[in-house]
Amino acid sequence: MEMSYQEKSITGSLIAMLVVYGYYFAAVLRNIGQAEFAGSALGRLVVAVVAIVVIEIVYHIVLSVAAKPEKDERDTIIELKAYRNAYFAYGAGAFFVMAWVVAAGLLQGAASTHMIIRPFLLVNLVLLFLVLAEVVKFVTQLLYYTRGLR
Amino acid sequence: MKGGRIRNNIRRLRFDRSEMTQQALAEKVGVTRQTVIAIEGDKYSPSLEVAFRIARVFGVPLEEVFQYEVTESVA
Repeated sequence: MEMSYQEKSITGSLIAMLVVYGYYFAAVLRNIGQAEFAGSALGRLVVAVVAIVVIEIVYHIVLSVAAKPEKDERDTIIELKAYRNAYFAYGAGAFFVMAWVVAAGLLQGAASTHMIIRPFLLVNLVLLFLVLAEVVKFVTQLLYYTRGLR
Repeated sequence: MKGGRIRNNIRRLRFDRSEMTQQALAEKVGVTRQTVIAIEGDKYSPSLEVAFRIARVFGVPLEEVFQYEVTESVA
């Protein structure tokens, strides 16, 4: 079945997000020992955000020329269901970060622990869960478009 | 309580109206062609408002377009 404007929009956004943030988090992993979130780390994040914005704008301009932007009640319901799943994903991430910080605080000084609460790690953990929540939203939408809402 | 699903005769009604296309129906109802395809394929139950608009396009009562079929018992 031919994809609707919304499906094409979501698919493009999902691919852009996976590529750009995949590249960004690969760089984060290479610098995982870094303490502060500043300098080149901040620069990489700015580049990633700008890249996503530019790709999204260009892609949606091209998409709008090729097909009329349309959205009806089915698109809205699917989007709301996707936001619900994304909320749970981001909520789980928020609890994970809080547990991480609390556990690190409780175990501070214990020689056997290597837990760290460095700004670089915390900023990227929060960002990772934001990106994951967005991915969950996009994937949920595509699943509902494919399988139906029954 | 009984469970059930909503069936429809949109495909037949389109055929009876000089083979109205899904795109033409979608434009008259104010939804996308993909939504008409999803409704016809029983993959989406439209809102009451859209259901009434579809019935109005065909000039028939709502019950002639959509039927509620009881399928199974739910505890």
